[in-house]
Amino acid sequence: MIEGMMIGFNTAFSGYNILMVMMGCFAGTIIGMLPGLGPMSAIALMIPITYGFDPASAMILMAGVYYGAIFGGSTSSILINAPGVAGTVSSSFDGYPMSQKGQAGKALAIAAYASFSGGTIAALFLLVAAPQLAKVSLSFQSADYFALMCVGLLSIAAFASKGQFLKAMIMTALGLALSTVGQDSLSDITRFAFGNINLMDGISFVLLVMATFAMSEAFMIIFKKMDINFKSSDVSKSSLGSIKISKDEVKEMVPTIGRTSVLGFFVGVLPGAGATIASFLAWGFERSIASAKEKLKFGKGSVKGLAAPETANNAACTGSFVPLLTLGIPGSGTTAVMLGALLSFGVQPGPRLYVEQPELFWAVIVSMYIGNVVLLVLNLPLIPYIARILAIPKNILVPLVLFFSVTGVYLISFNSFDIYFMAIVALLSLVLRVLNYPMPPLILGFILGGMLEKNLRRAVLINDGSFSFIWERPISLTLFIIAILIVLLQVYQGLKKEKE
Amino acid sequence: MTINYTRISAFIFLLIFLIYSYLAGEIRVFAFDENADFNARTFPKLISYLGIIVSLLTLVLSKNEKENMGQYEWISVIVLFALVFSYGLLIKTIGFFVSTNLFLIISYLYLGVRSYKVIIFSSFPVVAALQFMLHGLLDVYIRDPFLQFLGVIS
Repeated sequence: MIEGMMIGFNTAFSGYNILMVMMGCFAGTIIGMLPGLGPMSAIALMIPITYGFDPASAMILMAGVYYGAIFGGSTSSILINAPGVAGTVSSSFDGYPMSQKGQAGKALAIAAYASFSGGTIAALFLLVAAPQLAKVSLSFQSADYFALMCVGLLSIAAFASKGQFLKAMIMTALGLALSTVGQDSLSDITRFAFGNINLMDGISFVLLVMATFAMSEAFMIIFKKMDINFKSSDVSKSSLGSIKISKDEVKEMVPTIGRTSVLGFFVGVLPGAGATIASFLAWGFERSIASAKEKLKFGKGSVKGLAAPETANNAACTGSFVPLLTLGIPGSGTTAVMLGALLSFGVQPGPRLYVEQPELFWAVIVSMYIGNVVLLVLNLPLIPYIARILAIPKNILVPLVLFFSVTGVYLISFNSFDIYFMAIVALLSLVLRVLNYPMPPLILGFILGGMLEKNLRRAVLINDGSFSFIWERPISLTLFIIAILIVLLQVYQGLKKEKE
Repeated sequence: MTINYTRISAFIFLLIFLIYSYLAGEIRVFAFDENADFNARTFPKLISYLGIIVSLLTLVLSKNEKENMGQYEWISVIVLFALVFSYGLLIKTIGFFVSTNLFLIISYLYLGVRSYKVIIFSSFPVVAALQFMLHGLLDVYIRDPFLQFLGVIS
């Protein structure tokens, strides 16, 4: 393990990869700041750029983008009450009131310190937890992987559905169905291509992600008649105020950071939960344990109320890498996009990654820490300047997002068909999003489809055509019970809502 | 049972998964694989069952609420969609540089940007910088007859 870590440190600390983290954090901050464009869109836009890179550098860049996007989302939450990312909605509860009191600089500093601390503590947890989990998961067989993927799909559907579990399940089924287009991995038989040569190799993952997130988001801005001439008031250095934090405020923050980083990390590890749930939970948790006097401050510019979600969302981002790196199962929609990117590089995340590619495994973990340092050291002083990006009117932003999406897909295949197909998928996903069909389950279904089929096929063939592995293997049985419990919980919640 | 957009969409999904199920049964497999425990048809069949069940449940169990879809800006989105489509058509014929700039300028104008300075600075330099990054730094070749004609790229 020590040897692997050293290789990882070497890889992560190479000048090139440090540059990647810095670029990633910077690009992520800018994109994450723009309302509507979250880490998924940011990472999707980065995928085509990383095609010439080696997998470690690409992953390091994407991890930087992920962190940067979350940090950027906090900035727009605090400054203009327009969270760029769902995971930073709860940061606006106390961050924006602080801004209104003329303490925007302080709020941004609290957010940066809390994010840094949360990310650091979670990176230490990851350092310890990931290898242990990777060792345990080496005992997993195809049947267990199949069961685990079912749990992942159901939990993403449950958490992403916002109470509409069935719609999320339709999206999961649609994603799985789309993953079957093209050649079957074992027999090479072409399926669902309808004689179209462009579909013989299957649907491009980048195309689907760009269409469902970046492009449909751009369409959505126009579609919802958002004020396209919207400009935030000029965010100048003078209006931000001081970024200094007093000793009393530090004292107030420290216990909150300690508690919520642990909470955030473990919520992040759970498949499907992620930064949004972690940040809301952390804010609610801190409020519930606060004294009656402190409770009154929550929602009006409380230091604890801002530090809690900021710590938790960064810790959850790190936590969500645990299932991705050790089991090959993404813990969130964003890590699902990263999984797709890794697969396109020919890297199969999972327990073997820790053994076979320690440089990638450890470099990603180490680079997360570097990312936190970069955000603190570079981004915080630059915030007054970076924040000017918020002044870009949406009628400039939308065509640029469309252009980057189209170019990103075109550069991979140089095929006009992909542009037409992408535009159609983006339009359809816009309609589906308006009807409250969530997109993350579709992406996860699409990415896991191939692996799900491979593992199910292996499990069935090993069991002589029988599905008895479901109850014969204890790990599979436990995981299937969890899957059933997730479904039952959704049914119960649905019935409860109906009664109310 | 009220007919609303959720039910209509669930019905469309039901049809899609029924067709998918039929097509899954039509996948040609090797003769020796025909009666295998798991062949190229098995997984799509399982997905279609899942899809049919969840779409049916959505159709039956969704709430009887009317959804209003009238307040959205459909026309602008369709115009942008058409622009993206045209961009796809032109990119091969007139090249990346001209088609991209045309796409950006028309989109800005359609979305209400009237300042020529803004239009020019948000199109030509952006496209040129990206193309330089691709050609000059990343060695990614994009066919561009216009720039070739001008002698900018070989």
